[in-house]
Amino acid sequence: MKEGPLLPENDARESALFFVVCTLCFLAALAALTAKATYGAAEGWTAEVEGEMTVRLRDVDRRAGDEAQRIIEAIPGVISARVMTPEEIEELLVPTFGQTGFPAGLPLPLLIAVETEPAAADVAPNTARRLTEEGFSAVVDEHAEWAGDVRRALGVLRLAALSAVALLIATALSVIAFATHAALLARRDIVELLHLSGARDRFIAALFERRFWMLGLRAGAVGALAALGGAAAMIFVAQSRGGRANLLPQLSLDLLDILILVLTPIVAGSAARLATRFTVMRALKGKDVTA
Amino acid sequence: MSNLDFDPFDDVAVRLEAVTMRYDSPEDVLSDINLVLKPGSFTFLTGASGAGKTTLLKLLYLALTPTQGDIVLFGQRTSLLNRDKLAALRRRVGVVFQEFRLLDHLTAYENAALPLRVLGRKPADYREDVEDLLRWVGLGPRMNAKPPTLSGGEQQRVAIARALVSKPDLLIADEPTGNVDPEMGARLMRLFIELNRRLGTTVLIATHDLALIREFDAPLLRLSHGLLARDVEFGASA
Ligand SMILES: Nc1ncnc2c1ncn2[C@@H]1O[C@H](COP(=O)(O)OP(=O)(O)OP(=O)(O)O)[C@@H](O)[C@H]1O
Ligand SMILES: [Mg+2]
Repeated sequence: MKEGPLLPENDARESALFFVVCTLCFLAALAALTAKATYGAAEGWTAEVEGEMTVRLRDVDRRAGDEAQRIIEAIPGVISARVMTPEEIEELLVPTFGQTGFPAGLPLPLLIAVETEPAAADVAPNTARRLTEEGFSAVVDEHAEWAGDVRRALGVLRLAALSAVALLIATALSVIAFATHAALLARRDIVELLHLSGARDRFIAALFERRFWMLGLRAGAVGALAALGGAAAMIFVAQSRGGRANLLPQLSLDLLDILILVLTPIVAGSAARLATRFTVMRALKGKDVTA
Repeated sequence: MSNLDFDPFDDVAVRLEAVTMRYDSPEDVLSDINLVLKPGSFTFLTGASGAGKTTLLKLLYLALTPTQGDIVLFGQRTSLLNRDKLAALRRRVGVVFQEFRLLDHLTAYENAALPLRVLGRKPADYREDVEDLLRWVGLGPRMNAKPPTLSGGEQQRVAIARALVSKPDLLIADEPTGNVDPEMGARLMRLFIELNRRLGTTVLIATHDLALIREFDAPLLRLSHGLLARDVEFGASA
């Protein structure tokens, strides 16, 4: 004959708590996945452009362009340099001038695409100086600078996402502490009887801890799965709207994503357990529960 | 005698030293009570309704702390003990509460076995003892019933079984025969006496059942207006 649990089975209050914790876990996992995706995106976006720069020459013809290309290729740290064709340049300018094309009559600037060793220092300033020395009027665009901006922007996003995770965990903790306290008061009869039967505070706390650990674990698992589904859905929608798919974080379940999804229920369960222990022990020591 | 860990220089099960108890109102419910119960003694406590019997018992089973004075249980001064030590003392005390305090979601059997669970005993080890005890108090056929489906007298007997199940050193019973017929009352009383004689359990029973007191000739404490009739030392077993 198996003995019934000292704490009676769930009541309605616990379903409500389950829903709240579930939602918090969903949001926290989503925020954590977002924070993680910013790392991946930053890598993807910037790896391409780092090690690239563009040199813009004004008032030059094609021959002068070839001359400039030779000068650039001689600079230490440069792997290759290539004068871009007018078609390539027009394509680059589409975002600025639209499909109607570059206004005829305006002189098309001459662009040289330069590939550099990512580790090499001062390639851009050296290039600018050399070209000026040779009498060119040149502007050097270092993509790494732009990549830095992207990095900083993603850093802010990441910080926001991580703060959201922290805030959601803190909220979950308070909600659970509140709920435990309510459960404790609702179950005063049991708590008092156990107390008078000589049960230690830890024994009584363990009953509630076990209950809320399980609740946190289950709610966390459901919330994490929902977050996974939510993230997949968001990326799917964005991609199918014809966004620039290569700029979106990829939905590839790598180790870190799986870790986030596995950790969510464990963190939720442990948080529930800690909040419960703290609340129960404090209530038992105060005059709150036992006369 | 099971109480091997008594302080040999303080051979009492219970001693109240100048205990005064007040709830929120300014009047004393109990004033300056001095009382000694020797190990293995059997004592009745009586007094009019509201005289403070339950309050006195609550002090003894450590549900209340006195407003003034001190309580010594099994040689240990309770005012000096931490929470875990107090819990350990409570495990040596069996209590039949006036209002039973059974848990409605557990069966009669599970309610009776509760103190053994608190003690960390294994269900397989105590199963037969608990069932025997429940049969003894006439609950053999109702072991798996839950309290809301039991009569008042049956609930009272579950509460008594729970108080006895761990063979406590001190048994405190608050009106333990209030809800049963005289025949069952006498039967339960014989159970208390047997526990007292066989195991040396110190027993204190609050009752205003005068017939019972007369039938079982044991020392009698009388509370009235917050005072114990006399400050006496009871050493005799029933
Ligand atoms: N928790 C409490 N708070 C305030 N007053 C209380 C409390 N418990 C008991 N009292 C008061 O203390 C007095 C003694 O109560 P107690 O329950 O000890 O009496 P009793 O002798 O057990 O009575 P009865 O025979 O009816 O059970 C009563 O006047 C009661 O109103
Ligand atoms: Mg009473």
